[in-house]
Amino acid sequence: MELLKCVNVNKNFGDKPVLKDVNFTISSGKIIGLLGKNGTGKSTLIKIVNDLLTPTSGEILVNGKKVGVDSKKIISYLPERTYLDKAMTVDKVIEYFEDFYDNFDSNKARKLLLDLGLDTSQKLNKMSKGMQEKVQLVLVMSRKADLYILDEPLGGVDPATRDYILDTILTNFTEGASVIISTHLISDVERILDEVIFIDNGKIILQSDCDELRKKENSSIDEIFRRMFKC
Amino acid sequence: MLKKLLKYDLKSIFKFLIIFYGLSLFFAILTRIFLSVDNSFIMNIIGKICSGITISMLFNILINNLMRLWVRFKGNLYGDESYLTHTLPIERKTIYLSKVITAIITMFTSVIVIALTIFVAYYSKENLKMLTDMLLPIANAYGSTIVTMLLAILFVFFLEIANAVQAGFTGIILGHRMNNAKTGYSILFGFITYMITQLFALLSIFIVGLFNADIMNLFFTNQLLNIEILKFMMYLAIIVYTIILFVLYFINSEIFKKGVNVD
Repeated sequence: MELLKCVNVNKNFGDKPVLKDVNFTISSGKIIGLLGKNGTGKSTLIKIVNDLLTPTSGEILVNGKKVGVDSKKIISYLPERTYLDKAMTVDKVIEYFEDFYDNFDSNKARKLLLDLGLDTSQKLNKMSKGMQEKVQLVLVMSRKADLYILDEPLGGVDPATRDYILDTILTNFTEGASVIISTHLISDVERILDEVIFIDNGKIILQSDCDELRKKENSSIDEIFRRMFKC
Repeated sequence: MLKKLLKYDLKSIFKFLIIFYGLSLFFAILTRIFLSVDNSFIMNIIGKICSGITISMLFNILINNLMRLWVRFKGNLYGDESYLTHTLPIERKTIYLSKVITAIITMFTSVIVIALTIFVAYYSKENLKMLTDMLLPIANAYGSTIVTMLLAILFVFFLEIANAVQAGFTGIILGHRMNNAKTGYSILFGFITYMITQLFALLSIFIVGLFNADIMNLFFTNQLLNIEILKFMMYLAIIVYTIILFVLYFINSEIFKKGVNVD
């Protein structure tokens, strides 16, 4: 079953092309790494899938349907920035997610936040940026989604937090769902990936099963990435 | 989903407005207390200061209401929070409708609070008589009561403000379709839209003037208007502003539906 399909997607900002003829397909039940250097179009692609950007041309299909209300019901998206209303308490944010997402499990969210030792009556603007990001991750992973899209979830965090983030992802995504993780920190995520998509200069340059790629190149994904993207 | 969106939009605006509502009513009460003390120079001075603050609070309510609506619109649909707003499983036209309804409700409440503040601060039998004496001849000429006439004037004022809010929304939507200087373009497009709506209102009067010499005199003479023409103009203003309100709503909703480009 094709969960996500990008067909000839192009995106220009003014005269500058950022995505060039992007084509790929993602099926259910996989953890996919969307890998590329900074500024190669990973976030732009993810934003188009999440309807935050309008493609210049091309089409994106989620479960065979164009991006819209139906796709938003089944995609749980973690952006690279803090996006919650910082004047809200964590309790209010949970209430907000409960109001708008039918597949949001508030008990699971509260349990995960309790494990973090977080006071849910605290306002977000009283928390550190790192803690706000953890709250966002918990909220996103507490949805029973078909596709989780996590944009740079490991960016700018210490190794211990990276482990927490990866464990939270691995232990909380719905069975049978797919997870797309966009990152340039390959060594940290390599162990959990089933597939990789390499993106460079707005083009998909490789999509492959991780095990097959390792066998074929006789090296780790991290090493292959370093070789392919050598400056 | 519209109800849920409205719950959060209204909360977000009223959270701040309620402070200004409270302050304006507080100063209205102080004005009333101090101005009611006879034969005290000091009390009279304090009363006048409170009166000045009350009047400034009324402007504050309106300006604050307008600015908060625009800031919320921009932040919620094009700022960091847009990453949440646009990924909610809700149609874009519903999101836009929620913003417009929020604007109408909060503006309506603000107009009511302004009227209430004026009543609390300045109501007295003498003031009421003075106002009645001033307005009654006009109301009689209109063939209506003073209350109906005041309500009609308030309604035109309310429609005018609602159009200004929507012109701002149009500016923000169009400004954020550009690749650079989005805030600058938002202000520019908002101003242009507002001017276009005002020109449309003027054009409507001109078109009606083609069939009514008295109205056409407005454009080419300095003659004072007779009361019948004023009455007609009031009705025309209500119709034209209502049309502008719906046309702008439709245009904005359609542009917004085509998609966004969030930074």
